[in-house]
Amino acid sequence: MTADPIAPPLRGSSSVASTERGTPPERTSSNRASTSHATTWLPRNLHPIAWWIWALGLVVAASRTTNPFLLLAIVAAAGLVVMRRRGTAPWAKAFRWYLLFGVIIVVIRVATRGLLGGGAMGGAHVWFTLPRVPLPRWAAGITLGGPVSGEAVVAAACDGLRLATIIVCIGAANALANPKRALRVLPGALEELGVAVVISITVAPQLVAGVQRVRRARRLRGGADRGFRVLRSITLPVLHDALERSLALAAAMDSRGYGRRSVTSPTTRRLTVALLLGGLAALCVGVFGLLGGGTAPAVTTPAILAGVTCCAAGLWTGSRRVRRTAYAPDPWDVPESLVVLAGVVCAAVFVVAGGSIHGMQFGVATLRWPTLPLVPLVAVALAATPAVTAPRPPVRRVRASDPRGRSGDVAPIGATA
Amino acid sequence: MTGRVRPLRSGGARSGDAIVIPLGGWSRVALVGASALGIVAFCWPFLIDTRSVGDTSIAPLVFGVLLLLVLGVGVAQMSEGGIDAKALALLGVLSAINAGLRPLGAGTAGIELVFFLLVLAGRVFGPGFGFLLGCTSLFASAIITGGVGPWLPYQMFGAAFVGLGAGLLPRCRGRREIVLLAAYGFAASYVYGLLLNLSFWPFVVDPGSTTAYVPGAANWFNLRRYLVFDSVTSLGWDTLRALTTAVAIALTGSAILAALRRAGRRAAFTAPVEFRPADDGASPPVGRDQLPSGYMRVPRSEVFSEK
Amino acid sequence: MIDFERVTVTYDGASVPTLCDASFSVPEGELCLVVGSTGSGKSTLLGAVNGLVPRFTGGVLAGRVTVAGRDTARFHPRDLADIVGVVAQDPLAGFVTDTVAEELAYCMEQLAVPPSAMRKRVEEIVDVLGLADLRDRALAELSGGQQQRVAIGSVLAAQPSVLVLDEPTSALDPTAAEDVLAAITRLVHDLGLTVLMAEHRLERVVHYADSMLVLDGTGSVTHGPVAAMLADSPVAPPVVELGRLAGWEPLPSSVRDARRRAPELRERLAGRPVPGRGGARRVAHRADRSTGHAALSARGIVVRYGDLVAVAGVDLSLDAGSITALMGRNGSGKSSLLWALQGSGPRDAGAVDVAGADPGLLDPRGARAHVALVPQTPSDLLYLDSVAEECAQADRESGVPAGRTAELLGRLAPGIAPTCHPRDLSEGQKLTLVLAIQIAPSPPVVLLDEPTRGLDYGAKRRLADVLDGLAAQGRSIMIATHDVEFVARVADRVVLVAEGAVVADGPCEDVVVSSPAFAPQVAKILRPDPYLTVDQVAASLEGIGEVR
Repeated sequence: MTADPIAPPLRGSSSVASTERGTPPERTSSNRASTSHATTWLPRNLHPIAWWIWALGLVVAASRTTNPFLLLAIVAAAGLVVMRRRGTAPWAKAFRWYLLFGVIIVVIRVATRGLLGGGAMGGAHVWFTLPRVPLPRWAAGITLGGPVSGEAVVAAACDGLRLATIIVCIGAANALANPKRALRVLPGALEELGVAVVISITVAPQLVAGVQRVRRARRLRGGADRGFRVLRSITLPVLHDALERSLALAAAMDSRGYGRRSVTSPTTRRLTVALLLGGLAALCVGVFGLLGGGTAPAVTTPAILAGVTCCAAGLWTGSRRVRRTAYAPDPWDVPESLVVLAGVVCAAVFVVAGGSIHGMQFGVATLRWPTLPLVPLVAVALAATPAVTAPRPPVRRVRASDPRGRSGDVAPIGATA
Repeated sequence: MTGRVRPLRSGGARSGDAIVIPLGGWSRVALVGASALGIVAFCWPFLIDTRSVGDTSIAPLVFGVLLLLVLGVGVAQMSEGGIDAKALALLGVLSAINAGLRPLGAGTAGIELVFFLLVLAGRVFGPGFGFLLGCTSLFASAIITGGVGPWLPYQMFGAAFVGLGAGLLPRCRGRREIVLLAAYGFAASYVYGLLLNLSFWPFVVDPGSTTAYVPGAANWFNLRRYLVFDSVTSLGWDTLRALTTAVAIALTGSAILAALRRAGRRAAFTAPVEFRPADDGASPPVGRDQLPSGYMRVPRSEVFSEK
Repeated sequence: MIDFERVTVTYDGASVPTLCDASFSVPEGELCLVVGSTGSGKSTLLGAVNGLVPRFTGGVLAGRVTVAGRDTARFHPRDLADIVGVVAQDPLAGFVTDTVAEELAYCMEQLAVPPSAMRKRVEEIVDVLGLADLRDRALAELSGGQQQRVAIGSVLAAQPSVLVLDEPTSALDPTAAEDVLAAITRLVHDLGLTVLMAEHRLERVVHYADSMLVLDGTGSVTHGPVAAMLADSPVAPPVVELGRLAGWEPLPSSVRDARRRAPELRERLAGRPVPGRGGARRVAHRADRSTGHAALSARGIVVRYGDLVAVAGVDLSLDAGSITALMGRNGSGKSSLLWALQGSGPRDAGAVDVAGADPGLLDPRGARAHVALVPQTPSDLLYLDSVAEECAQADRESGVPAGRTAELLGRLAPGIAPTCHPRDLSEGQKLTLVLAIQIAPSPPVVLLDEPTRGLDYGAKRRLADVLDGLAAQGRSIMIATHDVEFVARVADRVVLVAEGAVVADGPCEDVVVSSPAFAPQVAKILRPDPYLTVDQVAASLEGIGEVR
C-alpha cells in the first residue's frame, strides 16, 4: 500500500515538469496577462459561480418577504437580467419553463386553499361558496369545498408567489450560467462525477440519434410495430452500441492521460478521510439536534457549522490528488465582483430590513393594497444592475459562408423567449 | 486504509459479476451517515422539532443544500482512490442513456424509465456503481434539459440509493432474479415518489389548506394529511411509474442484464494482467500491473478479481 | 523508437497467442504501415505500443515493449500519453467533451500543461490540421474527416513523438479518408513523428510508407521496407497485384510508378479481346443475365426534408440479374433514394413498381418481401443473443420454413458458429448475417447501403462473390458505395447521382473509365484500354477471355 517500489525514471522528470508547469499561481498570473482591462467588458461568458451567487442572493431576498410588489420586482429584475445577458444555448431557453412552473405553484397554492381550505382561515370577504363534499371517515379533518374568501385567496397567492419567485431566481441562474463551465469548478475531489456528467452530455444527443436510426431500421426487418418486443429490438442495439462505445472511450481516455495523479502522502489521504467522515458525523449530530430529541440548541448550530466546515475542508484536501489544469479558465474580474455584489447587497438589505421595515410582510387580515417600501425596492433595483454591468455573452464565431452556423449567429441581446 | 478493507460484496458480485467500483470500509461508513441525514432531509415534516426551524416552506431548500453537501462527501469518499477509466466511461454512457430516457418518459403519461436501467446496472456492476450512476444520471439529465432546481439534490439522492440498493440485493439467477429485480423496481419507484413528494409537500401546498403540513401537530395527524395530499396529487402517477418500471424489467430485464454482463466481461474488469519475460513460464513475472505513478491504489488483482 | 523484443500476447481465456514472438524495431521518423487481414492481431500490436494491451484488455504479455526507452511493463498508458498518441477507428466514440477546442485541450489538461502554453498549442494544432474555422463548433456536427482530424489533434497536443493510428479511415467515406491521410502524411514530413498505422486502403498510403509490418494471421510478424514486403504481403492494392502479375521489379507502389511501366504491358495486351470482369465463373453467368425484364421500376421519386430536397425526381429501372452501383458524393441523396425505393423511408412523390406492387404502400413485412435493404450500420438490425436465435427469428418474421435463414447464411459465409454473439462477429460477417436475414423471404430486389465500409480486401472479395451469386439467381442488386475498386469488380451498371438527381447512367466501363474521380487504379494505369480489374488483365493474358 505504499508507493511503487520501482520508482520509474519518469517520476522524477515529470514532477520537475509539474512544478515548472501546472501550478495554480501561475495560472492566475497567465490570466492576468491575457485579460487586460480593455478586454474585461468585451463579450464573454461571465464566471458561472458569479451568476449562481447573484441568484442565490435573490433567493434569500425573496424568502424574507411576502409583499407581492417586492416579489414581482425581484422576478422582474431576474427576468430583465436573463433577457439582456443570456446566450443562445439550449439551457438559456429553459427560463420560460421556470416561469411557467412558478405560475403553476401559485395556482396549486390557491387551488388547494380554495378547494381544500374549508374556510379554515375565515375572512370577511366571502367571494363564493363551493359545495362541500363529504369525505370518508379516514379522511376526518379534511374538508373539500366550503366558502372561499378573498383573504384566503390573496394570502395563498402571496405565499405561492414567494416560492414561485425563488424558483424563478434559480431558473435565472440556470439560464445565465453555462452548466458545462460550472462543472469545471467542481472541487477536484468530485472530478470523476464531473467527468461522468461531461461524458453523458456529450454522448446523450448521439444516443438519441442512434435510437432514431435503429427505430427506422426496425421497419426493414418487417417485425411487429408494437409491444415490448419492439422495445427490446430498439433498446438492445442502442445499448450494445453505447456499451461498446464506452469501452472505446475508456481506451481513448486512458491513452490520453486520464487519471494521472499527483503523489499524495498517506497522511493527506488519512486527513481527507478523517475530515470528510468527521464532517459527516458532526452534521448528523447537528441535524439530529433539530429532531427535538433533547439536544440543546446550543450544540445544534455549532455542530452543523463545524460539519459544513469539515466537509468543505475534506473536499479541499481531497482535491489535491488531482493534478490537472483547465483550458481557457473563466477569469474572475471586475464584472464578476459587481454581479456578486449586486446579489449579496440585495440579500443583506432584505435580511436586515426583514424585521424592521414596515411593509416587508404583507398581512391579509383585511383586504387592502400592500405598501411599497422604498429601501428594499432600491435593493432590488441594484440586483438588476447585472443587466448592464455583466459583459454580453459571446456571439459564436461563424464564417458567413457556413450555412450551418448561421442560425446560431443571432445577436444574443433581445433574443426573445 | 480503505484499500485494506475487503470490498463490499453484493449478491450480484457473488454470482460472478464484476464489482466495478469497490466500496471500502470508510465509504460504507460515509454511506450510513449519508443515509441517516437523507432520512431526516426527506422525512423532516414528521421528524423535526419545528420550533427549531423558522420557516417550514423554506426548509426544503435548506435541506437541499445539506443533501448536496452530503452527496459530495459520499462521492468524494467513494472516488478517493481514483476511478478506473473503464468504469467512468461506463458510468458516463449509461447515465447518458438514462438522461435520454427521461424526457422520453415525461411526455407519455407516466412512463418513467429512469429506474429501469439504473436497477439493472446497479445489479450487474455493484452497489458503488449504482450509487454513482443514480447521482450522475439525474445530474446529467438536469443539465441537459436545463432543469437544475431545488428538487435536484433530492432526486439525485433518491436515485443514488435506488441504485445502491439494487447492487445489494441477494444473489439469485434466472427467472427468480428478474422477479426480484422487477419487485425491487416497483417498490423503489413507489418509495422514491412518496419521499420526493413528502420533501416538497410543505413547499407546494398552502398552509391554509386542510391537506397542508401543520408544523408542530402530531405525526399521525400530519401523516394522514400527507397521504390524502399524495393520493390526490400523485398517487396515480407514482403507481403508473412503478408499474412501467416493473413491467419493463420483467420483459426486457434478462436481455439487458445479458448485454450489461457481456459488456462487463468485454471490459475485462476481472481479467488478470500480467507482464513476463520472453522465456515462457521459466522465471517469475517481472511485474503484475505495477502502478508507476506512485499513488496508492489497490492493485487490480486484489480489487477486481473474484476468488 | 518503438522496440518489440520477442513479444507474445495471450488474452485471458484464449488458447493460442494473438501475437507470437514478435520482434522488430521502428526507428525514429519512420511511417510504418501495419498490414494484415481482419483478426490477424493488428489492433493487439498497436495496443501493445502504449501498454493498453494488456493493461486495458487483460491478458499476458511476454517479452518486452519499449517506446522511447520506456518499458510498458513499468508505465501505465496514461503515463505514456506524452510520448505515444493513439487514435482509434471511430473518432466520435473517443470524444470526451463536445466542442473542438475543449477536445483539443483535453489531453493537455490531463497532463497539467499550464493554460497559457495550452492556448498556444491549441492554436498551433488548429493551424497544422486546418481546423481554424471549426474551433468553436460542436464535435457532433462535424464531418467524419473533420472529426478524425480533431481526434488526431487532441493527441498531438501532448507533443508525442510516436503516433499510433488504428485504421483511422475505416469508418470514413473516401473524401474524408483522403482528408485525414493528407493530414497524417503532412505530420510525418513536417514534425518528424514516428507513425505506426494500420490501414486497409493500402492504395492510398502505401507510397508514403517507409516500412511495413505484415501480420500473416498466425501471430507472427515480419518487418521490412515497403517494396520488399509488398512482394508477398497477403493483402495488396490493385496496383501491386498488377505489378506482380506483370512481373515488374521492383513493384510499383503508386499509379504514377506503374503508369511509367504500363506501355510494355499494354503492348502485351494489344489485340487481345477485353474479357468480362470477375473471371471465368462470372462470365458464364453473364450470358443469362440482363433478361431485359425490369425487377424494379421507379418514376419521379422525390424525397424532401423540410426545404432540403434530397432526391429530386429520379426515374430508375433495375434489370433482373444485374448489379447496379449507385455512386455520388456524401449527401447526394444515395441513402434517401435507397430507403425510398425500399418503402421504409419517406417518399414525397413518385411511384415504385416491384412485381406489380408498390413497396411503399405495403406493410413492412410485405415491403421486405419485395425489396430487401441492408442499411449502413447492419448491426442496427441485430438484437438477439446468438446467431442461431437471429436466424430463427428471421424465419418467423419472414414466414419461411425454419432453418431457411441459417442455411442461407451457411452458404453465404460458411463457418460462422451458431452460438456466437452477433456483436462478436467481424464487420464482414455481420454484414453477411444481415444480408441472409434480409433475403430470407426471397425478395427480387436487394439494396445495400455502403456495404464495404470497414471491410478488408478479403472480405470485399467474399462479398463480391456473394453478390455475384445472388445476381446469378436472377435477383436485381443495387449498392450505394464510394468504393471504386469494388464497383469495378462487381457492377454491371453505374448510376451517378449529384444533388438528388441522376447525372450519369450507363455500363460500368463507360461511366467509370472516363471519370477522373471514379476510375479504378487499373483503369488509370492502362488507359485508354478499357480494363478495370486485375482479374481482367490476368484472364486476358491467359487468353481465356471471351468476346463480350
